[in-house]
Amino acid sequence: MVSKTIMCPNCKNQITIEGSPGERKIITCPKCNTRGGFSFPGEGAISKVVSGSSAIEIHGLTKTYNGLKAVDNLSFNVRKGEIFGFLGPNGAGKTTAIKALLGLIHADTGVMKIDGHNMRDESIEAKKKLGYLPERANFYKNLTPVQTLDFFCELKGENKSVILPLLKEVGLEDAINKKVGNFSKGMVQLLGVAQTMIGKPSIYILDEPMGGLDARWVKSIREKIKMLNKQGATVILSSHILSEVQNLCDRVAIINKGKLIAEDTVSNLNKYLNIKPRLEITVKGLDGKVPSIINELKGVEAANAKGNTLLITCESPIRVKVISALEDAGFVIENIITIEPSLEDAFVKLVEGDT
Amino acid sequence: MVNFNLKTVYSIAKKEFLDNSRNKWILVLTGLFIILPLLISLAFSGTDKIFGGMDNTVLGLVAISSLLIPFVAIILGFSTISGEDENGALSVVLSYPVRRIELLFGKILGLGSVLVVSIFIGFGLSGVIITLAVGEASWAPFIAFILYNIGLGFVFLTGSIFISALCKSRTRSIGGAILLYFFGPIVGMFLMAIGAGMGYKVAEFQFPPWMLDYQIPLSPPDLVQTAVPVAYGTKVIEYSGMIINIPEYMTYAYFAFIQLTWIIIFIILGYLLLKKREI
Ligand SMILES: Nc1ncnc2c1ncn2[C@@H]1O[C@H](COP(=O)(O)OP(=O)(O)O)[C@@H](O)[C@H]1O
Ligand SMILES: [Mg+2]
Repeated sequence: MVSKTIMCPNCKNQITIEGSPGERKIITCPKCNTRGGFSFPGEGAISKVVSGSSAIEIHGLTKTYNGLKAVDNLSFNVRKGEIFGFLGPNGAGKTTAIKALLGLIHADTGVMKIDGHNMRDESIEAKKKLGYLPERANFYKNLTPVQTLDFFCELKGENKSVILPLLKEVGLEDAINKKVGNFSKGMVQLLGVAQTMIGKPSIYILDEPMGGLDARWVKSIREKIKMLNKQGATVILSSHILSEVQNLCDRVAIINKGKLIAEDTVSNLNKYLNIKPRLEITVKGLDGKVPSIINELKGVEAANAKGNTLLITCESPIRVKVISALEDAGFVIENIITIEPSLEDAFVKLVEGDT
Repeated sequence: MVNFNLKTVYSIAKKEFLDNSRNKWILVLTGLFIILPLLISLAFSGTDKIFGGMDNTVLGLVAISSLLIPFVAIILGFSTISGEDENGALSVVLSYPVRRIELLFGKILGLGSVLVVSIFIGFGLSGVIITLAVGEASWAPFIAFILYNIGLGFVFLTGSIFISALCKSRTRSIGGAILLYFFGPIVGMFLMAIGAGMGYKVAEFQFPPWMLDYQIPLSPPDLVQTAVPVAYGTKVIEYSGMIINIPEYMTYAYFAFIQLTWIIIFIILGYLLLKKREI
């Protein structure tokens, strides 16, 4: 049996529930009678500092800022060789947890290990095989990228022959003589990524690696992560945008208000959260009503209309049918957008359930 | 046991040197180091020589250097920790196998090298030009002048690194840096206020006899302004319009001891703050 405290999405009442790992429960808030579902994290998600084969172990981590628990008794393990998504909305405590793990900030309590090294007294050893990309990386404005990586190579005792190939790998080969002070935000981020790869780390910790970058760079960073993982590295990456990472991660942990609320494989999570993209269709002269042909269409799970936009939740094969059904009925479609599920959707589902 | 990797310290020092020696402010100030001594010696050229003569020039330079060197040192150090913390570079460096004490000493060494190079290029070069022009110079006091100025630079460098470890942001560090720069004059005003309270007519330049005993150790620029004349054999200095006898105990060893004490205090405080700091 495990117990969990969750918050009622309606009246913010704290409810403590009990269940077994993986179990799904329907709860009624004793205060306001709102009904909702909750899934306990699956087996293996209940973390203990046991396995020597974990890449990262966090146990009982708490960090308080001015009386507010930014991270609250957080525990999870990252297994060797996996891509692990560390997810939560803005302000959930992801960056705080990562910084406490690295010893950049001082935790109130908690035992943290990287590659079996206790970060209390063996952090220098642990950091030799670690690559870290902070949320906001910036470097020395008067140095070139070559000089910057030269510095980081020296700190890790790495041969400098890796510098040019690394810069080429992240696509900065045309900027090797430019000062980093003149780099764009995306280029600085790429230099940050290049820096993490120095010394061939076995563990990567990336804090919002795609944060604020445009689609082209997001794709390139996503590919880089896949490639590093293929070469055997463990990758933990944080994000507040579920869609950005859900096809990338083997397992994810979701935190909210400093507390772990789910830890599982992405497919399990998606299964019990039943998250799907939504279709937003702009129809000429719709007038706030869902056309009856849509309501009758098989496979449409939810349909809402607001003004001249139609919001439809369905599996992707059904989307084509939705559009042709609308056109057959004589509606003029002006625009179609797919809205990827956001983590906020996942949250609502985690606490509220989909019933 | 303190673990300390000299190679790491050297790498950090090298990076600081490369980054800061290209800082345009430092380049401008180094330019001033070259131009001001020449202007000063021209100002002293009221006598028959073109360059005034080195000793006079040096004495005139102290006034300039004790204003300029703290300024350069503060520019180099005031945001070296707070600024890199704010922009994220520090968290990357500390995710490498780097101890915070290595980071601190690397910064002192690297920024200190920029400072020393800038002092040498400026005063050294002008020293040579003046010597060539004048043909006679007393080298020992000139070397003392250079060393005291380097000491002054390190007092303010370690002081400004302490400020940058104390302040959370670059903006706050600016406030701290201004306080540090004006610490000497503030001490002076404080001492005069005490003197006035004790019945000395401070407004008529009647200072308490113990004024220098406190002013010199507490105000590093005033220390250099006293130490250099002492190196040139002077027994009295002009202080705010009044001629004051320099106390007998103020020797080379005394001045060096005070400068070193400041540097050590700032390094210890800086280390304690950096160790506690949340990056
Ligand atoms: N240095 C700090 N001082 C005070 N509060 C902080 C500090 N850093 C983070 N917090 C607070 O801790 C919480 C978690 O922040 P953070 O770890 O940055 O979240 P995330 O990375 O998930 O967006 C937030 O409420 C934030 O305001
Ligand atoms: Mg964050």
